[in-house]
Amino acid sequence: MNTPAPVFEARRVSKSFGPVSALKDVSITLFPGEVHSIIGENGAGKSTLMNIICGRFQPTEGQLFVDGKEVHFHLPKDAQAHGIAIAPQEISLVPHLSVAENIMLGAHCGPALSIDWRKTRAEATRHLHEVDNSIDPAARVSSLSKAQQQLVQIARAAATEARVLIFDEPTATLTYREEETLMSYIEALAREGRSAFYISHRLDEVRRLSHRITVLRDGVHVGELAPEEASRERMVTMMAGRPPKAGAQPLRDLPSTDTVLKVEGLTRAHEFRDLSFSLRKGEILGVSGLVGSGRTEMAKCIFGATRADAGRIELNGKPVSFRGPLEAIRAGVIYLPEERKQEGIFPLLSIAENTGLPTLDRFTGLLHLRNRDMMAEVEKLAGQMKAKFNSLRDPITSLSGGNQQKFIIARWLMRDAHVLIMDEPTRGIDVNAKFEIQSVLRKLTEERGLSIIVISSEMEELLDVADRIMVMHEGKVKGAIDRREASQEGLLQMAMS
Amino acid sequence: MASANTSELSTPAPRRQASLLSRFWAWEGSGVLVALVALTAALTLATDNFLSAYNVSVVLRQAAFVGLVALGQTLVLLVGGIDLSVGAAAGLSSIVGAIALTQWGIHPYLIIPFTMFFGFALGALNGVFVAGLRLNPFIVTLATWEIFAGLTLVITKGYPIRPLGDQFGIFGKGEIWGIPVPVIIFFASAIFLIWMLRQTRFGRNIFAVGGNRDAAILAGIRVRLVEFTAFGMAGMFAALAGILFASRMDAGQPSVGEGWLMGAITAAILGGTSLRGGQGSIVGTVLGALLLAVLGNGTVLLNVSGFWQRVIVGGVVLVAVLVDLLRRKD
Ligand SMILES: Nc1ncnc2c1ncn2[C@@H]1O[C@H](COP(=O)(O)OP(=O)(O)OP(=O)(O)O)[C@@H](O)[C@H]1O
Ligand SMILES: [Mg+2]
Repeated sequence: MNTPAPVFEARRVSKSFGPVSALKDVSITLFPGEVHSIIGENGAGKSTLMNIICGRFQPTEGQLFVDGKEVHFHLPKDAQAHGIAIAPQEISLVPHLSVAENIMLGAHCGPALSIDWRKTRAEATRHLHEVDNSIDPAARVSSLSKAQQQLVQIARAAATEARVLIFDEPTATLTYREEETLMSYIEALAREGRSAFYISHRLDEVRRLSHRITVLRDGVHVGELAPEEASRERMVTMMAGRPPKAGAQPLRDLPSTDTVLKVEGLTRAHEFRDLSFSLRKGEILGVSGLVGSGRTEMAKCIFGATRADAGRIELNGKPVSFRGPLEAIRAGVIYLPEERKQEGIFPLLSIAENTGLPTLDRFTGLLHLRNRDMMAEVEKLAGQMKAKFNSLRDPITSLSGGNQQKFIIARWLMRDAHVLIMDEPTRGIDVNAKFEIQSVLRKLTEERGLSIIVISSEMEELLDVADRIMVMHEGKVKGAIDRREASQEGLLQMAMS
Repeated sequence: MASANTSELSTPAPRRQASLLSRFWAWEGSGVLVALVALTAALTLATDNFLSAYNVSVVLRQAAFVGLVALGQTLVLLVGGIDLSVGAAAGLSSIVGAIALTQWGIHPYLIIPFTMFFGFALGALNGVFVAGLRLNPFIVTLATWEIFAGLTLVITKGYPIRPLGDQFGIFGKGEIWGIPVPVIIFFASAIFLIWMLRQTRFGRNIFAVGGNRDAAILAGIRVRLVEFTAFGMAGMFAALAGILFASRMDAGQPSVGEGWLMGAITAAILGGTSLRGGQGSIVGTVLGALLLAVLGNGTVLLNVSGFWQRVIVGGVVLVAVLVDLLRRKD
């Protein structure tokens, strides 16, 4: 027997945040050249474990070993000194600096005192091109899309030449094409003998990439799978502790034929052109497309966040033109942005406040806020979506990434509306919770007659929940088909035609 | 449709011009530079003596003292902090420098480095509280402002320390090729800082820490050391301004830095430095300090009452903020 020694090992690690225990007695190893995936539901403790490994958090108990020697990390700097780098779940870049400088942050090239900018830029560009070659290294990070920022962040981690790389949900913001590049990049990395921890809720990716899969549930290590034995069913069952529920929402015929939203010839320079479509009462319309197809821009324009150059929008048969989001919300059109951290949450407020804030008017008593009613409703929605939290009074930042997303969805479900536009609503949400959220959406369309537009880069998601799927490509509508006739290949072909 | 056509038809030449202009506009210091040029032109036309050698050297000297303090303040603003104690630190440092000169017998040529070192220690005290203990910089420096100003009065009982002697006077009163020494020191300091912020790791780390502290920590940057040093340097530049002013007045005066705090922050903000950290430039701050000095000088030349000067400065700051708002919308 000569198994190589692990490059990294965490032994019996536990972590608690006050009364919340996020990790319990977890042990994990990583061998040279190995891609080791960690899967688990939202709040299972995946990011917490990774944050301990990269020195952002200190474990409450347990030991870490690099090359068999025990190490103590007080700061990410210490972990980096041992060759460990992370591309974290939330974007963590300096917005005002260039892409190149972000990649080389804290690692500029040059002699002792003065920085050699040409060498630094060349180095940054080299690392960036391994992951993506469409991004301009001289661009400011703040001018990039979320997907591009995610890629820069991955290049950043790779540029540290670390032996152990941690990818915490790197593909959540990516679409098909960039995902493909990233996969082959990680495979190449492993062939060079570098190792990676990989986290994703996209189970196909996990199966394709991993040499080993570890499952966490409620902060506990519940098992390890080889990729051959990791069927989708098996993974979901281990993550949830029970067999998975059915996948797709059943097909249906819409009860009403009324048109709620009608868009005609909507155009905005450099964003989209001549968009026309309609949305029926109680319908879920899926919008598919690659990055840059103009889906988000269209949503923002309908919501009144930007002004159209041409075209008209009709709501319940009456032409509307919102001068701002407030008017749209009053008219019953709601938009849920794709970037939750920057546009969606109030980091200093509690979970309950974050959820109830836009609907406070509904809970205003004569002289006071009817807090208890609000809490009760938030609690009910949280239960429906299987959100994991300690107390609704905790700050929202204490939630795991996926659970934050659930409460932001809940926020808008508390409001009465005619049209709900959701941009990547289940990004970063685990398989079971995704199903729960889709069921909630479906129920809303049936009970309240709400009409929903779901923008998603995951075609499976649209095929699970939408009644009809519209395909956009480079700012134009390529077509729309009923779910009954839709398939992944069909949608891709439609986009490319 | 229409806009797609125009961009296809346009030739490359005007596009490059446009991008040069928009790049200038995107630079934080663009607003203050335009204002400075416009004001200079207006004053040149409205008065006969604005551009006289004598008056220019008056303006520059005025800019130099507040400007030095503003340079340090800019570093603190860039890391996302603020230092309200700079004026008081300048006062206390100049008093200690004057005492070192007159009572402890330190050589006049060593007084400047000595005072700067002392000023660094004062700033470092802020740094310990802000960077080390993660306290709010506004509150910490509000407290140390009081402490430094109080200590100055305790030491001097309100009386100036004088005389400081001719040998020491050259730093404040001397000229080289007709340029006042404080002005030379101011520009030399600015050039040093421009180089530091552009070419050294410490300089780049200042932008990283101020732009996104978490990202900087993740990148392995020693965030606390960067913050600590920025505060130390703010104290150091304040002390430099204070002791140069003492040299010029031939007296260590307890009240020396009183008006400098507002001037320093105003110069930095006029120069486009963001109060939220991570954005700003030394060139902008230098221009901001010059603009303030020209404004002050202009009101004197035009015989506007000194009281109006404050109203005008306040108005200029508001306009600058508005211009900045428009600039960022583009
Ligand atoms: N700073 C914090 N304060 C309090 N609790 C926290 C904090 N960070 C994480 N937690 C808790 O620890 C648990 C695990 O969170 P973690 O972020 O590791 O989940 P995750 O597996 O990464 O989930 P996701 O898939 O949603 O990203 C959650 O219950 C969360 O509420
Ligand atoms: Mg996570």
